Amino acid sequence: MRNVFIVAAKRTPQVKSGLDFKEVSVPHLAIGLLQNILDSYPKIENTSVDEVIFGNIGAPPQFANISRVIALEAGLDQKTSAYTVNRNCAAGMEAVAQATLKIATSRAELIFAGGLESMSQMPLIFSKEMTDMFIELMKAKSLKERLTAFGRFRPYFLKPIIAIEKGLTDPFCGLNMGQTAELLARELNITREEQDTFANYSHQKACAATKEGRFHSEIVPVLVGNKMDRILTHDVGPRSDSSVERLGQMRPFFDKKSGSVTVGNSCPITDGGSALLLASEEAVNRHALTPLARIVDYSFNGVAPKYMGLGPISSISALLKRTGQTMDAIDLFEINEAFSAQIIAVQKIAKDAALCSRFVGLSEALGEIPSEKLNVNGGGVALGHPVGSSGSRIIVTLVHELMRRRGKWGVASLCIGGGQGGAVLVENLAL
Amino acid sequence: MEIANLNLSRLTFEVKEQIAYLGFGKYSEKSMTVIDRETLIELDKLLKLFYEEKSYKNLDGLIFFSHKPGCFLAGADISMISTLKSVEEAFDGAQKGQELYNRIEDLTIPTVACIDGVCLGGGLELALACRHILASDSPKTSLGLPEVQLGILPGFGGTYRLPQRVTLPNALDLILSGRQLKGYKAYKMGLADEIYPSEYLLPMAVKILRKPKFFNKKSGLKDSISNFLQDNFLVRKVIFQKAREKVLKKTRGLYDAPLKILDLMESGPGHGRATYLHNEAQAFAELALSQQSAGLRNIFFLMDAAKKAPFKTDSPSPRTLKRGAVVGSGVMGGGLAYLMSESNMRPILKDLNYESLEIGVRQAALNYASSVKKKRITRDEWEKKQRSIIPSTTYHGFSRVDLVIEAIFEDMEIKKRLFQEIESKVAPSCIITTNTSSLSVEEMASALQDPSRFAGLHFFNPVAKMPLVEIIAHPKCAPETIDTLYRWVLATKKTPLIVKDSPGFLVNRILGAFIKEAIYLLEEGVRLQDIDNACLNFGLAMGPFRLLDEVGIDIALKVGKIFNEKLGERFNPAPLSKKLEELKILGKKGGKGFYLYSKSKGSGDSGDSGDDSERSSGSGGDRPLEINPELKTMLPEKNILMDEESIQKRLILPMINEAAYLLEEGVVKSAGDVDLGMIFGTGFAPFRGGLLRYADFSGVSRIQAEMEKFASSISALRYAPAPLLKKLVAEKRNFYDYQP
Repeated sequence: MRNVFIVAAKRTPQVKSGLDFKEVSVPHLAIGLLQNILDSYPKIENTSVDEVIFGNIGAPPQFANISRVIALEAGLDQKTSAYTVNRNCAAGMEAVAQATLKIATSRAELIFAGGLESMSQMPLIFSKEMTDMFIELMKAKSLKERLTAFGRFRPYFLKPIIAIEKGLTDPFCGLNMGQTAELLARELNITREEQDTFANYSHQKACAATKEGRFHSEIVPVLVGNKMDRILTHDVGPRSDSSVERLGQMRPFFDKKSGSVTVGNSCPITDGGSALLLASEEAVNRHALTPLARIVDYSFNGVAPKYMGLGPISSISALLKRTGQTMDAIDLFEINEAFSAQIIAVQKIAKDAALCSRFVGLSEALGEIPSEKLNVNGGGVALGHPVGSSGSRIIVTLVHELMRRRGKWGVASLCIGGGQGGAVLVENLAL
Repeated sequence: MEIANLNLSRLTFEVKEQIAYLGFGKYSEKSMTVIDRETLIELDKLLKLFYEEKSYKNLDGLIFFSHKPGCFLAGADISMISTLKSVEEAFDGAQKGQELYNRIEDLTIPTVACIDGVCLGGGLELALACRHILASDSPKTSLGLPEVQLGILPGFGGTYRLPQRVTLPNALDLILSGRQLKGYKAYKMGLADEIYPSEYLLPMAVKILRKPKFFNKKSGLKDSISNFLQDNFLVRKVIFQKAREKVLKKTRGLYDAPLKILDLMESGPGHGRATYLHNEAQAFAELALSQQSAGLRNIFFLMDAAKKAPFKTDSPSPRTLKRGAVVGSGVMGGGLAYLMSESNMRPILKDLNYESLEIGVRQAALNYASSVKKKRITRDEWEKKQRSIIPSTTYHGFSRVDLVIEAIFEDMEIKKRLFQEIESKVAPSCIITTNTSSLSVEEMASALQDPSRFAGLHFFNPVAKMPLVEIIAHPKCAPETIDTLYRWVLATKKTPLIVKDSPGFLVNRILGAFIKEAIYLLEEGVRLQDIDNACLNFGLAMGPFRLLDEVGIDIALKVGKIFNEKLGERFNPAPLSKKLEELKILGKKGGKGFYLYSKSKGSGDSGDSGDDSERSSGSGGDRPLEINPELKTMLPEKNILMDEESIQKRLILPMINEAAYLLEEGVVKSAGDVDLGMIFGTGFAPFRGGLLRYADFSGVSRIQAEMEKFASSISALRYAPAPLLKKLVAEKRNFYDYQP
């Protein structure tokens, strides 16, 4: 197997849905990233890139294979292969994993991998009844048949289904994602205050990182506004005025009466994109690229759908086994914060052998995930979770932070709706 | 079927399976086929067959088509007009053409024009005489009657037949503006009966001729109502009144052709085809021989020449500039980024901070928004192009750039340092340019390690609207650099003009002479609005004070000082300039200058609807602006009344004189260059054919005499005739005869 290098890692700002990015045509959440990266390496020609792989969950219908649109609009040659992957919350990570595998096995030299999501522009769906009626109408030949088909119409058919709501509900266990977090909070006795404190800390870290310009090297600005005449350079979501008290005033959202998971201590629905350029050693030499980091390996593993939030434990555990690494050696963790309750649960269970066995079926404890090494620049609760992008976004942030603090090993991991976890081990080469 | 020995050199003709095919463009080498005398003679011969030979009378039909890709017929050969000696001759010519087209119209067998590509003027008039017009959906297909832009009118029955096909208001719009319609729009308007892919035009024409039923166009209720209405006397009156108002607003009544078109078309076809066409031919003939048309045709030829300027054959084949960057993100920089993004150069727009970058990005957005509003592009296209502009605070990506345009403020030392920095970031083949309007390009070039790749590239504000780009060469500049830039400017659909490095280059120096003198007039007590109006009535796009406000009074005064310093006493500024400077009014950008500007009136975009050609036909300043009351303190208390002609002379003569200096110094090579620059850089009265064309028309000796009169009565320093002017007068030559 060949080495796989990350030679560039960029992301857009992440913006709460319905705000600055609501009018950005979705492919443009990635096109600018590719162009920016290509601008760093004048020796890369438009025919040099073998493939473009992006993760995306809720693309508007006109972009059936959004990666192809991204590839062409970014100026890559028509011969460039492109496809779009979906592994729910880890779609972006799946894209990186596939690129890694292809380069490692010499099927490709240079691949753009990443993810993007505009949750502002997720489609509305007609109800099943309405859809059936439309099909009948299209089949109808005579006026009578048409009238009969119409006769079935009831006003409630018109109630649209929000695709995003469906996507966030597990078709197997029937719980929506927030309910899985409530379940973890109940079973592990995670209090409302613990969750709000965690959420508040995430906001503080994200705001500090923004203020000190720590995201500067990873963010590519995007033109926003109705006329595309403003330049957005930072995330829209982290609140500098956040406090545990204010978070404490919010009503539980998923279990309205007795629950503890609120909109405030969960990740907001968000728009954003992220992209990495992965290269083989040959490509690095041929195109004069600068390797920032090496992708050591990745792992995806399943857990019980109702405990989907615990996916990182099982995938990190498998990843460390595959690579022979230990938890102590890891300098930095980027674990997506879907819910404060969920990530607190991950931390609690990881260090406890009994809980590891009970919840994810591990024979021993994974080991401690120290808070000072976890999401040091804030996580999903503050920065948001653009579903298709988060899997690659956390790798982008991980690489840049590892380089900044000159750490060697970093793990990016996230839980995946439906009961899975994904994890990637990265070695910093810019020491 | 046997074809008689016809000896065709322009047209092709054959009869296949009972259908006659008449083809254009087979034997011409040029990319555009035009109708010349020979074409008309051959057409006449061929049409005779259909009237005299029995076998032709029973054909299924006649199809007109073109062998040349991208061109059906680009209209009559314009140089034919210049050979006309008298109104009578022009009248005869028009009538001959009309008779020919009448015979097409009167054929008993059906006729079809298959238009794939450009179809203009006499070409469209021919199609209008056919029973059916089919257009292709190719992007090159474009239909129109642009005669008005040459100061004439469609004289082969176009003003007669177009209203019948597309309704009177549409016909007036097309004939008065000269604008062209793409295939689909022509179809929507009813000018073309059908629209097909190019490959299927001829097969579909055959199908229509063989099965007329297949193509029976039913005239709908809407059509009959609108026909009824426009035949109504009162409705016609209203239509013409509206059209006339529009013309007067746009041209201030300075242009003869649109007014004549209105008179002709208002007379209407009521007295029959023969009478109407007689009038059309008469109107055409009068216009064709007019000075205005000669002036406008001069511009056409100048433009045509600019498109194929003589390149040195020994220079290696010039590169295409694929990627661009603009340094300095003000209104100008934003306009340049817009221009580059328009031509798919994915420009990097660089400045020190995001606040400045937003000024540029906003300017580009304003330009695109107005294109979207005019439905020239879709919102999706806007998004693509707007997002292709990359705002950056660093030089990231500069190594991939082929062309850099610098557009920061005018400071020689800072610019020099900037060029050194840019040179260290870009590839060795990258061309570096400055958009300076007043500083020495040669001096800037000295800052570069490789000055051969450096040149001046002077755009005019607003970039999106002003067609002219001055390309400024300097002694160390490589010919390839100029060559490549020239082609690039053409590719961005602008008009390039190569000038030598000299203060203010061509256009601003001539404007400098104009503005300086306008301030003297103000000081003498002539009312500000009288001066501006006199200039508008002469046909300038703007009066001097509106112009000063647009340019920025501070900048103009600064440049004026440079002229005075470098060019001497004829540029001595009026004492009033000093007071103006102290008043510290900036012009439009500061909200007040000579006039007051309210912020709400679309800032940035100078607001005139319409494109470049409309602009140069002399609109502007049509909404009255209020004069800045602060000026009162510095203006003379007593006003003097000066007649319009004297004001015009006082301002135009120094411009002509300065142009003479420029020619003598070799800043540009010919009088045509001066005129091209003034028309496309300032919108100088196009109907006058340009500044020096006007001088030639007026007579150089008269110009000199008037200069001398002013030299003794006003100022010997400012009005002394330039040596070249005197020389021309002595040698009895015109500016247009001058060769360096």
